[in-house]
Amino acid sequence: MIISQEMTFFKRFKRCLSEVSGSREVLRQLVTQHLVLRYRRTTLGYFWTLINPLVMMSIMAVVFSTLFQQDLKTFTVFLFAGMIPWNFFNATVTQSAGSFINNESLIKKIYLPKALFPISLSVALLIDSALSFVALLIIIVLLGASFSWAMLFIPVAYILLYFFTLGAGLIMSVATVFFRDLQHVILIVMQALFFLTPIFYRPESLAGKAQWLMAFNPVVPFIDLFRSPLLNGTLPDANTLMLATGFSIGVFSLGLFVFLWQEKNIVFRL
Amino acid sequence: MSSIEVNELSIKFRIYHDSSPSLKESFASFFRRKNKSSGYADFLAVNNVSLKINAGDRVGIIGHNGAGKSTLLKALCRVYEPSEGKITVDGRIAPLLEIGAGFHPEFTGRENIYLNGAILGYPKSELASIEQEVVQFAELEEFIDTPVKYYSTGMYMRLAFSLATAVHADILILDEIFAGGDAGFVDKARKRMHEMIDRANIMIMVSHDHELVKSLCNRIIWMDHGRVIGDGDPEVVIAEYLASRGCS
Repeated sequence: MIISQEMTFFKRFKRCLSEVSGSREVLRQLVTQHLVLRYRRTTLGYFWTLINPLVMMSIMAVVFSTLFQQDLKTFTVFLFAGMIPWNFFNATVTQSAGSFINNESLIKKIYLPKALFPISLSVALLIDSALSFVALLIIIVLLGASFSWAMLFIPVAYILLYFFTLGAGLIMSVATVFFRDLQHVILIVMQALFFLTPIFYRPESLAGKAQWLMAFNPVVPFIDLFRSPLLNGTLPDANTLMLATGFSIGVFSLGLFVFLWQEKNIVFRL
Repeated sequence: MSSIEVNELSIKFRIYHDSSPSLKESFASFFRRKNKSSGYADFLAVNNVSLKINAGDRVGIIGHNGAGKSTLLKALCRVYEPSEGKITVDGRIAPLLEIGAGFHPEFTGRENIYLNGAILGYPKSELASIEQEVVQFAELEEFIDTPVKYYSTGMYMRLAFSLATAVHADILILDEIFAGGDAGFVDKARKRMHEMIDRANIMIMVSHDHELVKSLCNRIIWMDHGRVIGDGDPEVVIAEYLASRGCS
């Protein structure tokens, strides 16, 4: 094994890939750590991951459908189909800001492939998100809404969303090590982005002056990716799919680039 | 046969005078380009070090505090990547720098064996087979399913030590010899440590205990301000080191 500064980008990428796949056991342990620790000593344990979104989403559905005078059934599916991808994206990006900083004591003491930290976080949150999705399915059944074949598209939507989110998470995790203020800035940015994303309103309702802002919001196509099959029972249109694929590949590549470029400097700046 | 080769290795730290630069300042200096020196100073913790360590070497690294000893060890364990130069390692390294790194306080002793074992790079099958032995050696049969946050310092150290020394490694890297716990455990741990050193292909340790270093090592490296000042026979190098300290 040779360790030196003079490594081509491709070599770094290959090493990163082989090291991460060689540390699957650590990855598994870190993911379990994320998932299990929150519910230590609670009676319901991991069930909270299912109950929490179920109750949260129900409350929001009742509140907003009353507020906007909408049909409860349609609005519930409409809202949740937007909330699920958003929550995954939001949680991953905001929590990634701490993924190296919170593991400082480990990183400074023993060598581990650093990509494991943001990856384990995103995988754990993906599992949580999949469980919220199960909660949504339960609600759909309870409300008597119909299923459609288009829902088989959801796994593809998750894959595209995952890589987009992981890319953004990688950028955040590295950037925060160098600029600690980002930990706080990102919370505000995500709040603004939330209101700029058609989650509890229809894209049409953001008309007029603010409409153009939505065109720059990369999260929008991912919301559609989930909403079309769940709400309308149709596959997302080609334009949305292309945009989402583009953002997914683009942001993931950028995240990977930023990570590989700064990976070696992280330990010196913790 | 294991070996370690270090070529012109430098490890650079950046010391910031006030605080780390803000996003705004970084942007500003990025566009300005000039006047780079303002905010920080570079500091070479390891400065152009070249070494060749062969199979059979028992290396002790000595030097005053801040000489770069631990930084060098951490570079060998890949915690710090070289700022310049390169390191070539042949063989499996057991990094015993900070035992118990990666223990999670909320997890039980048994869960931590698997967590920390994975971090140390032990395969899962191997962990299952050594689990029993680790628990026995640490004398923690009663408490192994208790979260480690309820452990006493001694119990914690015993578990960490037992796990870290459970698997044979070609290259052993130690930062001071450690052993916590009561007298009985310290004896047992010392014996195991010596066995491990005997079996290892290469051993590198940092210590301020010159008698210990003399008894365990067959080669001494003396570091000062990030550079290697002396390298060779234990008696000779330690004598030189003590002499230099005497005059200054």
